[in-house]
Amino acid sequence: MSLFLKSLATLILGTVLGLAMTWAVVFRGDMPGGIADGAWHTNLAVGSAGGDMRTRAAVALHGLLALNRSETIYYTAMTDDSGARLDGGCAYRIAGRDPDTRWWSITAYGADDYLIANPANRYSISKNSVMRDADGGFDAEVSAASRASNWIPVARAPFSLTLRLYNPAPRVAADPVHAVLPKIEKVSCG
Amino acid sequence: MSVRGWIGWTAATLVVALAVHFASMWYLPRLVMSRALAQMGAVNTIHHGKRADASAHGVVRPSPDLLYSVCPFDLSRAALRVTAPVPRGTYWSVSMFDDATNNFFVLNDAHANGAVDFIVVPADWEKPMPYRLVRSPSVRGLVVFRTLINDERNLAAIDAARRKAKCAPL
Repeated sequence: MSLFLKSLATLILGTVLGLAMTWAVVFRGDMPGGIADGAWHTNLAVGSAGGDMRTRAAVALHGLLALNRSETIYYTAMTDDSGARLDGGCAYRIAGRDPDTRWWSITAYGADDYLIANPANRYSISKNSVMRDADGGFDAEVSAASRASNWIPVARAPFSLTLRLYNPAPRVAADPVHAVLPKIEKVSCG
Repeated sequence: MSVRGWIGWTAATLVVALAVHFASMWYLPRLVMSRALAQMGAVNTIHHGKRADASAHGVVRPSPDLLYSVCPFDLSRAALRVTAPVPRGTYWSVSMFDDATNNFFVLNDAHANGAVDFIVVPADWEKPMPYRLVRSPSVRGLVVFRTLINDERNLAAIDAARRKAKCAPL
């Protein structure tokens, strides 16, 4: 093989390999720098200019235009509290009390990271819309089957949830891993 | 090819791979932002987005409880003046992102004193201005206004209030 062909092969192979590495760590891999509070995961680098190159790339892809954590903390759940992948073939109970923050919401997203189409045009529950029990706690359901209130509709497919805390209490912003957040329990499947 | 020859070409391939890997990771946020800015419309003017629903396929993971208004900016010819009265009784914020998706500025209703009026300038701007200056790390970027729909019954009033925000070249 001539030197030219060898060099060309090296460039092509190296480029393919380099792009494959980027795809593996940024598109397929978990977000670096993440912390977990039960099933809820967040990343302290979201919304900041800090973090390494891999974190920045992952944040650009998965958290574009996110705010810094003193303004908003974004938690994402891909699983229930037992660690099983969230799937619209099952129904889930989200139970807890209002997180310590000025305003909060829980929103469901499809595998494509966009809102999930449903006839009721409902996509979230929030501090303003959730119906509370007499003791101040709430009990909501995430499922494909219709429910009158405290319901986040999803399709019969894998989904994820984002919990937004707007203007979290300073102690939550300082220690987001120990914030008291709603539980996500699987109720039934099929 | 000799064993030494194979080792040399393999090492060269790995060097190229690492260079491409790091270059593509550096470039990715810039590519994402460039594509986001391109789909948002004309620069240096404000665009009031409709409430996000399942048809919203612009920015990933939009909140259906917020109204977003955006102002893509390009400071290469002029600074940008951003003015807005702060809607009352709900969460509202104005934030700015550079061309690599970094959030370099945020101010919310609790700290805005009723209204905002500031000039976005490039980082190396030296001319004194009788305004509050916000220095952008990059010439191109984005201003995002978020207004919370804290009561569905007030949606029309909240939407009207957030539409008073403006941005224009100075």
